[in-house]
Amino acid sequence: MSGLTGAVRSELLKFFTTRLWWGMLIGVFACGAAFALIIGLLYTSEKFLEQSGNGGFGGAPVGDDVQIANSVYTAGLSISYLLMLVIGVIQIGAEYRHRTVTSTFLAQPRRPVVMLGKVLALVAVAAAYGLVNLVGSVLVGAITLHARGAPAFPSAQVVRTLALSMLVLGLWALIGLGIGILIPNQVAALLIGVGAAWLVEPLLGLAIKASDFGQQHIAPYLPSEATQAVINTAKASADDVRLSWWGGAIALLCWAAAFAGAGIVRVLRQDIT
Amino acid sequence: MGVGVEFSGLTKRFGSLTAVDELSFAVAPGRVTGFLGPNGAGKTTTLRMLLGLVRPTSGTARIDGRTYVELDRPLDVVGAALEATDVHPGRTGRDHLRTIAAASGVPDRRVDELLELTGIPAFARKRAGGYSTGMRQRLALAQSLLGDPQLLVLDEPANGLDPEGIRWLRGFLRHLCADQGKTVLVSSHLLQEVEQTVDDVVIIANGTLVKQGAMADLGGGAGAIVRTPDPAALARALGDITSEPDADGALFVHSTDLRAIGDAAHAAGLPVWELRRREADLEALFFELTEGRNRNVGEAV
Repeated sequence: MSGLTGAVRSELLKFFTTRLWWGMLIGVFACGAAFALIIGLLYTSEKFLEQSGNGGFGGAPVGDDVQIANSVYTAGLSISYLLMLVIGVIQIGAEYRHRTVTSTFLAQPRRPVVMLGKVLALVAVAAAYGLVNLVGSVLVGAITLHARGAPAFPSAQVVRTLALSMLVLGLWALIGLGIGILIPNQVAALLIGVGAAWLVEPLLGLAIKASDFGQQHIAPYLPSEATQAVINTAKASADDVRLSWWGGAIALLCWAAAFAGAGIVRVLRQDIT
Repeated sequence: MGVGVEFSGLTKRFGSLTAVDELSFAVAPGRVTGFLGPNGAGKTTTLRMLLGLVRPTSGTARIDGRTYVELDRPLDVVGAALEATDVHPGRTGRDHLRTIAAASGVPDRRVDELLELTGIPAFARKRAGGYSTGMRQRLALAQSLLGDPQLLVLDEPANGLDPEGIRWLRGFLRHLCADQGKTVLVSSHLLQEVEQTVDDVVIIANGTLVKQGAMADLGGGAGAIVRTPDPAALARALGDITSEPDADGALFVHSTDLRAIGDAAHAAGLPVWELRRREADLEALFFELTEGRNRNVGEAV
């Protein structure tokens, strides 16, 4: 057990002893604040409210007061979760790239302990960034909503969304960890990981939604859709099928477990040469 | 008291390449053992198997009867400085050591002690991106000593060091072994690099053992070259000290006691034209043992 404590401490030290962490800190805070402002202004505009009232024609998002508040507070989340993906990739990718993985496994040859240490450290780091993200988005978002005459905290459900957004970030960091192991070249892992999560997966989602079956039974389980379900934001279109918040959480958890799990299994058998 | 190491039938295949083939040898506690062989002989793979980084295809490598992974606090037993390990360029050397120390329950105080010992306390507070090879080697040595281990495994520690660095390294190893009784297993592809430092040698080529023994016994040891008009008469005059004819009519005497040889020649009334000590030609022996066995040197087509 003391081995695991040491492993977590070591991983946290690794994260906070390079310059990455404060760059991310600024990025996550700015991202939360800026998107909360933009979405806050957009979703409280007259045009949006008009369309939202009559079923969302014209491609504008659809949602009630709660969903609008949720959308504003988590507006930066889809960029923030990409940043967490990056952190996840780097937490292992940098070890391959800068050849510190040998030292890591010499200090703790029980590889499951090392990897569990990485998982726990990443979840903690992502949750902390989630909090920073919220400080930025709630501060700016609540002022914006209030100024526009929309309810800033329409229900306690908003608090649930805020808490869950931290979980979402943790799970995306674990997806990154898996990608960082499965693609040992860190630069390739970052490009492919971010590219896939940012562009390919959402486009794939659109393609899948072209068929009724896909829209009903496949698209809701994709990571980005599951993420939106967890935090219960306004929908892109009225036809979209959404999982419940806990259904989305389970789906996202499965994605994180699949990626991180596959990566960890690979590390356990790997020759470090 | 240092700990011992035992390799038994150790084999590693990478696809069709057998990097290490049924390798068995022991490293005696409290001695410095040189692990020698040309580049690509399988030294690094062998050491990485010992340290649980590479899984053997078959066979075992044990430290005082246990594998590396079975050790409770491995850094307290074995310290290693391996090739192809490095420091994150954006992290300071000191912080690098702290990440290793944290994982094995070593306090930060020990990190600073070792930075003092290896003479890099100021440098270690700068980011590692600008470190020279010598700095990295010193940092790697500091890292290997974090848990104050009784066994040190050093993979080509002199690689890339300037003459000053090599001299420092020799003194440092002597200090660790002679003064602190640690066991040291040090690999090198150059015999002369370690011949002044090691007690025992293990030589491998193409993943198999070719020679093992005490450094002093390697190549029959040193002797003396004597030049005199009648070598046969001098050989008789030397009595119990054996000798053999050498090139150009000289006599090679199996003794380094030049005074006794000169006295014997004088007593027999033989003039001495040359009398000098000759070291064992280890480099020639090393080359002979590994020559033609280096798979990395391809045959001409």
